[in-house]
Amino acid sequence: MHLLQKLGGFLLAAAIGYAQNSRAEQIENARQARAASLTPEVNKGAEEFLRSFKDRKYAERFAAGYNGLRVKLGGLVTGGGFAVGPEYLREDLFHGNLRVRSAAQISFSGYQRLDGEINLPNLVGEHAFIDVYAVHHNYPGIQYYGPGPDSAKTGRSVYRLEDSALDGTGGWKYKDKLKIGASIGGLWMNVGPGSHNDFISADKIYTERQAPGITSQTNFFRFGTFAQLDYRDNPLGPKSGGNYVIQYSRFEDIGKLQHDFNRIEVELQQHIAMFNKTRRIALRGKTVLTDTRAGQEVPFYLRPVLGGSDDLRGFRPFRFNDRNSVVYNAEYRWEIFAGLDGAVFADAGKVFPRRGLLNFRDLESSGGFGLRFNARNQTFMRIDASFSHEGFQLFFKFNDLFSQRPFGTSSSQPIF
Amino acid sequence: MKPLLLLLALTASIEARKFFDDDPLVAEPKSKSIDKAASRKLSDYYDTFSHLLATPGDLKALPAQGVNTLGEPMEGAWWVRRHYYERMSIGDLQRGPSRGLPPSKNGPWTVIGAKNEGITPGFVILDANKRRYFVKFDPLSNPEMATGADQISLKLFHALGYHVPDNYLASFTADMLVLGQDVEIADKVGKKRKMTSRDVSEILLKVPKSKDGRYRATASLAIPGKGIGPYRYFGQRTDDPNDIVPHEHRRDLRGLHVFCAWTAHDDSRSINTYDTLTEEGGAKFVKHYLLDLGSTLGSASSKANSPRSGGEYLFGWKLALKNLVTLGLDVPDWARAKYSTLPAVGLFEGDRFDPASWVPEYPNPAFSNRLPDDDFWAAKQVMAFTDEEIRAIVATAEYSDPKVSEFLAGAMAKRRDKIGKTYFAKVLPLDNFAVRGGALVFDDLGARHKMGPEGGYRVKWHRFDNETERTEPVNASGFTPPAVEGYWMGEISHPQRAKQTIRVYGRGARIAGVERTW
Repeated sequence: MHLLQKLGGFLLAAAIGYAQNSRAEQIENARQARAASLTPEVNKGAEEFLRSFKDRKYAERFAAGYNGLRVKLGGLVTGGGFAVGPEYLREDLFHGNLRVRSAAQISFSGYQRLDGEINLPNLVGEHAFIDVYAVHHNYPGIQYYGPGPDSAKTGRSVYRLEDSALDGTGGWKYKDKLKIGASIGGLWMNVGPGSHNDFISADKIYTERQAPGITSQTNFFRFGTFAQLDYRDNPLGPKSGGNYVIQYSRFEDIGKLQHDFNRIEVELQQHIAMFNKTRRIALRGKTVLTDTRAGQEVPFYLRPVLGGSDDLRGFRPFRFNDRNSVVYNAEYRWEIFAGLDGAVFADAGKVFPRRGLLNFRDLESSGGFGLRFNARNQTFMRIDASFSHEGFQLFFKFNDLFSQRPFGTSSSQPIF
Repeated sequence: MKPLLLLLALTASIEARKFFDDDPLVAEPKSKSIDKAASRKLSDYYDTFSHLLATPGDLKALPAQGVNTLGEPMEGAWWVRRHYYERMSIGDLQRGPSRGLPPSKNGPWTVIGAKNEGITPGFVILDANKRRYFVKFDPLSNPEMATGADQISLKLFHALGYHVPDNYLASFTADMLVLGQDVEIADKVGKKRKMTSRDVSEILLKVPKSKDGRYRATASLAIPGKGIGPYRYFGQRTDDPNDIVPHEHRRDLRGLHVFCAWTAHDDSRSINTYDTLTEEGGAKFVKHYLLDLGSTLGSASSKANSPRSGGEYLFGWKLALKNLVTLGLDVPDWARAKYSTLPAVGLFEGDRFDPASWVPEYPNPAFSNRLPDDDFWAAKQVMAFTDEEIRAIVATAEYSDPKVSEFLAGAMAKRRDKIGKTYFAKVLPLDNFAVRGGALVFDDLGARHKMGPEGGYRVKWHRFDNETERTEPVNASGFTPPAVEGYWMGEISHPQRAKQTIRVYGRGARIAGVERTW
């Protein structure tokens, strides 16, 4: 119908044009011809779908869920597989001054996590905050390669980590740049035989000396303090500035009385922007140090670990485990286009038994390249391909390498 | 079919005629009146992706349409002749599109709607005179930036001939706002609930407040007529009989590229335009507006603009591949720009600006189709603004720090001059042809602005047959058109610019048309 209508309109215009004597008449005739073939102005197909999708806020509705109830995807420990489960989140209570969240997730590999938190982020004129966090993990196959920097790649085993924790954290903040605070909580541990088709259970090949705490269960009372100076331009997607964190935690073994220890974590980040922040270098140095009194030992499941997507990327997750660790990351990022950055990086680090070995010697190293997918000035997904003398690793992660974990005693667990 | 074939045969025999007696038309003939036009929204997602990943519209280097025989757009629903054509006074430039109807301060402003979600909160208010205004603010990070940019660009685009809304710089205290009855507000998922005075307070917490407790905002008076959604930069409205030229071929939309480059309006896309069905001069027709000019002059409304803005599209296959394989070591010129640290300025500068390579966020078919004569049409209008006029327009933004006004006016003058130098070099920069005292006279814009050959132009005269468009050389001295019956044509050239000519057509002392080559 439209084709005939348009053809008719054209012919009408042409025929009328025969009698044109002025420019005004020519224009008027063209309008006349167009008037003969008008159709309503409407969107069609994909355009109408996308308009409707945005106007009806389907993405926001999916993210917000129903009355705070929604689906939570991913976010479990590396190697746990893709997880899914319900999450309840309310950020609108008392006009945003009370936040409540709770989730239950299970992965296709059977990894489970139940957690809940209550946050009061704006106390005392937005200068103070209180967080309460409770979590239960049941991870059937956490990897363990044995202790120390010389552990063998072939020593891979798995163990079940089943723990529950409840921690409270409070602090004071100044203009979101400076935070200091303290936390207190409890940790109820249960470590058992790992479940994996391809790898042996850790308790079958590692002794109590090689994996302290593997044969007996215990619980912890813990407390600590922390301080942060953060002057990054955008903490969710930093391009310049620095972030310096120090945390101290004390773990008291209230069950077996064999695993009291202190833990100090220092993390220094510096982001150096070049060419109007279109290219930048991100540097990070991070160390975790533990110490014990004589006769006490840090349990293997609470020792610092290295390897995986967040530190030594050329090695498998949890590849190295010891009482202390240090890792250095350098990453150069550049804009490929507005929503994508490229990255080349180098990582170096080690685990070590004594704090006196905190130095630059005998570091394991890896390097690689990656892609950073960005939206609203933050990385929502990254792909890292990394190489080391132990082979090639490829990671898909829905976080930024330099993202900050929450503060407090709960954050000092190596596995979360 | 026979009648159709007959009509085709008739059209084939129509006599060609280059000029009509009423050429050149200054204004379009009175619009054809229409009763209704469908109101439809566009999808900005679709608009973005369809332009980044495909090529909508007719991308051909055709001569611009929607112009008279001088190459000038005709006044009408899209554009009108202003500052370049009839010099506006400083007062007129500063008034811009204002109808003199700022929100009344003789009474409270009743809040009848609000937007609290997202990154750009705002209100809809009724003032004491029951006039409706959209109230928009600056971001906390950049006080005065978006409101100032809006004021300046609004006046510039108005003086450049475009239809723009009537926006006022407003200053008010919180106690001037009164919540209307039964006003609803939508949450982030679109769920509506009754708005409370706390919602008003929360919106005000998200915007800058001066030391004396006042809020600065843009109060945009509702545009007359019925809003029917944005226009596209390609194709035509299917329900508008007056829309006879594909938008990508309109000179007033092609030349808009130059104006957007001048003002760093990289958000120049369909979503920031607005069509209304309006009634003027006894006819009801679709009128076309530019909107949301707060995203100019280094502002992205809710934050300072990206440094990439104007330098590259959001995405391009070739560029992405190049950036990927070179590891970003080939640093583009725009990334080396040095920006002011003044928060009210955003990311705007004039030293690294290159008008020819400037691009909006994603390809715009009208911009992509532009030719050197489109650019010249726009550049001559940009060059018409003197330093004093630019400063006067910038002053209407009422920046609290004089350094901001000084910086912006300076950067705009630099960008203006780069536009002139770039585009006056692409065609012979002569304009406003007339026959006076028996001689062909014109404005030598190159000489006036010291951006082209100073004199030295030559002309060859021809007799011109309006029916067959054949030309025949004739002898005439200097710039005096030959005394021929019918039309004459003078072909102007310059020895320094071999390929650039201007053909001026006339009949007696009347100029009928102008054509440029390059």
